[in-house]
Order: sequence, then C-alpha cells, then structure tokens
Amino acid sequence: MNKILAVIRREFIERVRTKSFLLGTFLLPLMIGLFGYLPHLLLTRETNTRGVVVINAVEGDAADRVAEGVVKALLASRVGEGELARSRFTVTLLPADGRMEELRDSIIRTIGRRQGPPGAPDGVLILTEASVTEGKVSYLGSNVTSIGDMKVLGGVLGPVLSEERLLRANADSAILRASMIKLVLDANKVTEGRLTGQDTESSFALAYGVSLIMYITLLLYGIQVMTAVVEEKSNRIVEVLISSLTPFQLLLGKIIGVGAVGLVQLGIWGASSFYLTSMFGSRASGMENLAAEGTARSFTMPEVPVELVGVVLLFFLLGFFLYSALYAAIGSMCTTTQEAQQANTPVTMMIAVGMISIFGLINEPSGTMARVMTFIPFFTPIVMPVRYAIAPMGALEVLLAALDVVLSLLAVTWLAGRIYRVGILSYGKKPSVKELWGWVRTR
Amino acid sequence: MTAPVVFADRITKRFAGHTAVRSLSLTVPGGGLYGLLGPNGAGKTTTIRMLLNILTPDEGRVALFGSEGTGRDLSERIGYLPEERGLYPKMKVLDQLAFLGEAKGLSRWDARKRAKSWLERLGLGEWTLRKVSDLSKGMQQKVQFAGALQHEPELVILDEPFSGLDPVNSQVMRDVVVDVARSGRTVLFSTHIMEHAEKMCDGVVIIARGEKVVDGPLARIKREFGKSHVALVFSRNQVAAERVLADRNLVAHADDAGASAEVELATGAEPDSLLRALVEADVGLSRFEVVEPSLQSIFIAKVGDAAQPAMRQEA
Repeated sequence: MNKILAVIRREFIERVRTKSFLLGTFLLPLMIGLFGYLPHLLLTRETNTRGVVVINAVEGDAADRVAEGVVKALLASRVGEGELARSRFTVTLLPADGRMEELRDSIIRTIGRRQGPPGAPDGVLILTEASVTEGKVSYLGSNVTSIGDMKVLGGVLGPVLSEERLLRANADSAILRASMIKLVLDANKVTEGRLTGQDTESSFALAYGVSLIMYITLLLYGIQVMTAVVEEKSNRIVEVLISSLTPFQLLLGKIIGVGAVGLVQLGIWGASSFYLTSMFGSRASGMENLAAEGTARSFTMPEVPVELVGVVLLFFLLGFFLYSALYAAIGSMCTTTQEAQQANTPVTMMIAVGMISIFGLINEPSGTMARVMTFIPFFTPIVMPVRYAIAPMGALEVLLAALDVVLSLLAVTWLAGRIYRVGILSYGKKPSVKELWGWVRTR
Repeated sequence: MTAPVVFADRITKRFAGHTAVRSLSLTVPGGGLYGLLGPNGAGKTTTIRMLLNILTPDEGRVALFGSEGTGRDLSERIGYLPEERGLYPKMKVLDQLAFLGEAKGLSRWDARKRAKSWLERLGLGEWTLRKVSDLSKGMQQKVQFAGALQHEPELVILDEPFSGLDPVNSQVMRDVVVDVARSGRTVLFSTHIMEHAEKMCDGVVIIARGEKVVDGPLARIKREFGKSHVALVFSRNQVAAERVLADRNLVAHADDAGASAEVELATGAEPDSLLRALVEADVGLSRFEVVEPSLQSIFIAKVGDAAQPAMRQEA
C-alpha cells in the first residue's frame, strides 16, 4: 500500500511541477475568459452610435406619420449598459420631395469614406410607398454586416409598417393595439414534474457543456496515462520498478496519480469559471448581446444541480479508470510515443463516438438510442451525465449504469493488467492480436 | 546447513517459438560473489528475471532465502540492477533515488537520508538537486547503482553491471560490489567479461543456449577441469609447434595465440609426452607449466561443446 502511495505521489508531484501543467491550468481559464469576454467588449463598448439618414418617399397624408414612427422607434433603441447606455442611432429625416434618387446618391457618396466629412452618416434608409404596401424597405450603409444593427432595423420597421397598414384599412384602434402585442415564447424545461427555470438554450448548453467536459477530460488524462507508460518503457526504468512493485501496483498508482492531477486541474478550472461567471455575470457571453436584442430575456447561465455534479464526477471517475486502463495497455504494447499515438486510435474513436452521439441524445434523451447507449459500457461515461443533465432519471437507473461500467471496468482492468505485465518488458515490434492473446494467457 | 540464498529448481521459460531457459537448476550459497556467465543470448537475463519473479517460470520453482515468497514479496531484501536500466530524466537525482527506496519499502524520510549518503559516497553530492538528464552517462550509472544498493539488501542481483563503464568507473563499481560481498551479503551478477568473473567470483554458473553447462565454486570447477592444462610459450618454428598441438592423441584442445598457447591435454596423455614432442619439434620453449585453466578457456571449451548433442544430454 505504501508503495502504491509512493507511485501516486511521484506521479502527482512530477506532473504538477511541469510547466505544461502550470500553463494549462492557469492560462486556459484566462484564455477562455478572454475569448468569452472579448467579443462582448467588442460588440458593446466599441459600438459607435450609427448615423442614419431616413429618406421619406412615402406618399399621401400618411407620409409623415410613417416616417415619424420609424424615427421614434430607431431613437428608442439603446446600446451599452449602465452609464455607457446611449442611443444606438442618430437619425436625420429628409423628405424626398420627388428627388429620392438624387438625394440617395448624394448621401451614398459620403458613406464609408476614409476621410469623409465630419458627421457623415453610416447608412441611408429609404421609405417608399412600397414599404407600406409591399413591405419593401431598402437600407444602404457601411454597417450592413453588423448583425445587431440589422436585427434592430428589421425589428423596428416591421411593427411601424404593420401599424400603418392597419390604419389605412381603417382598423379599430383596439384591434390595432391588440395586433401589436409582441410574441414572447417562454420555453421552460420541466423535469420530474417541476420547473427547472432553464430555457431551451441553457438546457442545451448544460448538456453540451457536460459532454464536452467528459470528452476532453477522458481523452486528455487517458492519453497522459498512456504517455506515462510508454515513457517509463522507453526510459527503461520500468524493469527496476517492476522488481519491487507488482505491475498492478504500478499501473494503479500511475492511474490514480494522473487522475488526481486531473481532479485538481478540473477543480481549478471549475472554481475559476465559477469566479469568472459570478464576476461578469451573464455578460461573459458575447452571444448574449445579440440574443438580448431579439428576445425579451437574455441568456442565463444554467443552474447546475448538485446531483448532476455528483453524477458527472461518478461517471468521470469510472470512465477515467476504464479508459486509462485501455490506454495503459496500448502504451505498454508500444516502444515509442509516436507509435502509441497511432495505436490509440480505436480507443480514442470510442470516446469520439460517445461524444458525437450526444447530439442525438439531446433531441431524444429517453429514446431507444439513449437507453441502448447507456448500457454499452464504453459510452456510458459520456452518455449518462448528458442524459442526466437533460432529464434526470431515477437512482436505480443511474446505479445500474454505474454497475455496468464497474463490471466492465473489472474485466478491462484484468485484461489490460495482463497485457501491461508482459508489454512493459517487450520491446520492438508491436504485437499482433494473436500475440496479444498469448500475452493475456501467459502465466 | 542454512538454506541457499538463491535456489532454482529446473526452471524453464518459453517464448513464442523458442525456449529461452531450459530446466535450469541453480544454487547460490549465502555470502560472496557469484557469477552468471554465458554468451549473448544464453538466457542470462531471462534467468535473472525468473529469479526475481519479474517473469514466472513455465516450469520449475524458485526459492529465495529458503522462503516461499516471490522475489517481489522479498524485494526489501533484494537489490536489482537490470541490464536495460534507466531513470526518469526529468526527476531530480535525490527525488529519484528516494522514490526507488520507497519502492523498496523504505519510509520516505529514511529513503531520502540514505539516498543523500549514497550520493556523497559516490561523489555526486553536488548533483543531488539537479535533474537526471543533466548528468553524464557515467554519473547516471552511479545513481542506478546506488538505487540498487541503498536499502542494504542481503542479495544483490546485477545484470551486466560493468558494461558501458569506462575503466575508472568500472573499477569504482567493482570495489563497491566487492565491499558488499565482504560484508557477508550475496552478490549474483551476470557478465560476459571473463576477467571480471575470474578476479571477483567465488562461484560461477556458465549457461549456454538456455541450459546450464557447469556450476559450482570457481576453485572446484578449475580443479575438475584443469588437471591437464598446460601453458606454453615458444620462440620459433611455429609451424612445427602447431603440428604438435594438432595431434589429438596429445592435445584435446588448444587455445592458440601464436607464440603462446593454453592447451588441454587429451584424456590419458601425460604432460611429459607433450614436453617431449615439443622439444623434439625444436620450438624454443621458454615456458612449460602445468596450470589451472583460465575461466576464459573453460568458458570457451564448455560453451563450444554445448553445441554438441552429447554435451546437451550431460547438462
């Protein structure tokens, strides 16, 4: 037991001391934070107020009514937050007076020039009779690539024009008001007969996030175990160790050591992402800025229930042991790291298949595919937490799935241990399947 | 009588397609130096691995210290330096040795203390906090030696311990090994350098093609083998000398080195008859001495014979 502890300690300390660990652990959250926050900064703080010229070419009595409605709505659109909040647009209204093309062309000439006159507009919006009758509006500007701006323009123009159409049809003012009510689809996930407070986006994000974490960690730390095994072999230190330790002790110590490093790293990542989100709140997501304009409410970070954390941890550990044993067996068959990187493809593919399947699972979390995949032990560690994130199942099903993994874990560890035992002392050519079977059966 | 430190009873190990070690029996008494000799591919490393239970014999049984436990159960009492040896290149020297000590069952504190004192002893005191990869190859070998010896094992098994060392370091290591044996502990080492074995060993076992050819105390092996060995130096008429040495009635085997030779007399032949024949051939004898055979000549004779089917049965 003390010997296993010595192996675990060595594995842990030597790993934590490396530069790549320090970089990976502390730089990654910083990068993620930066990449999450930067677009937000760019999309909000850096947004200048846009100058828009509205050319009013609508005919008849209603001409002014339509134009004023549009201007009012444009001015009401805000950008930025808190003290920085300001109007998104400055608007200049020009009556066309029958010279629409001429006006338009003269304004276009001032748009988007590197040294344009001060106060040059960013775009010109042309309202014509067709805007009311057919819904055709043209906008010519330098900012047409700004998704936010275009979304707002569309959102603002639609209701104003609809209102005008209704007015022209002599609609009753009550009907008018009633028809102008905005649709707000408040999708809210229900699980186990109660509301979770998650909308579609956040429950997708949660499930996807969970699967991504499982995928990355299983792959990352599994490969680390494999590399550690190959390195011990190519350093030729393994024979000294194996004279004092059983292959099983060495293998177990190594896997636990790497696993402990993984948990520490995950812990630091988890804690820092929690800190980052609580610091910036939901603003940390740049996408929120776009979403906020279209829907009534912004994207909220999904709340993570405690049982889910438990399920994720349980299946991370089971999956890690399962895959590490496989990766260790692969490592022990190879003589160089390069060789091992090629040989691990079948194992890596299994993790990838589990990952890809989650898109089907998110759609149909309790369907046949989901149930079948839950009980194929190599997929369970990824599938189970994802299913649990979308639609928690009973404790019995969780335990059965866990038991399923534990049983195959025992079988795989036994097999991997037998291969490892012979493999670490075999150099040269990689064994064929037949030779591998011989290794397994050797005394 | 106390149990032998190493006892192997007809151990056999087969690998895909060939038998690496065949029905090998071995007894190493406690104390002293014991050599495991054999040409490349003879099965020395496989034998050592079976003694240590790194490999399990397909047949036969190994007992260490007269106990039922395997090499790994008893690893606290055994020091092992494999032929393919290595260290973790990125670990600090002291940490590395301490870890090896812990793997042998020493407490962490004790392991560090011993590691320090061994590094001092081998002249590596200034290098304790350096990475292994900063050390020269010779220094790394010293660290590996320390790793095998620091927990003061009763039995030290060294696989080709002096290969790849320069003469100075080789001498340092041999002195260390002899010291260990003098302190009453047992050292079993494999080598194919006969001079080392001849100078150092109390007993040897020679194996070839996976089978034992001869074993026992060195003095006895020489006595049994060498009643009729003669060392010769002659100064002229080499052709005539060679003709005499080729006479199978007189000489069974000659280790001819031009102007000198070590010859094994044919069964029934007397040294006198050889002397008479050489004088008649007028070779200008300057040395004629009935000697103990060198280990080298025993080795060549025995291992050469091992190819013969008759010898195989005998072994």
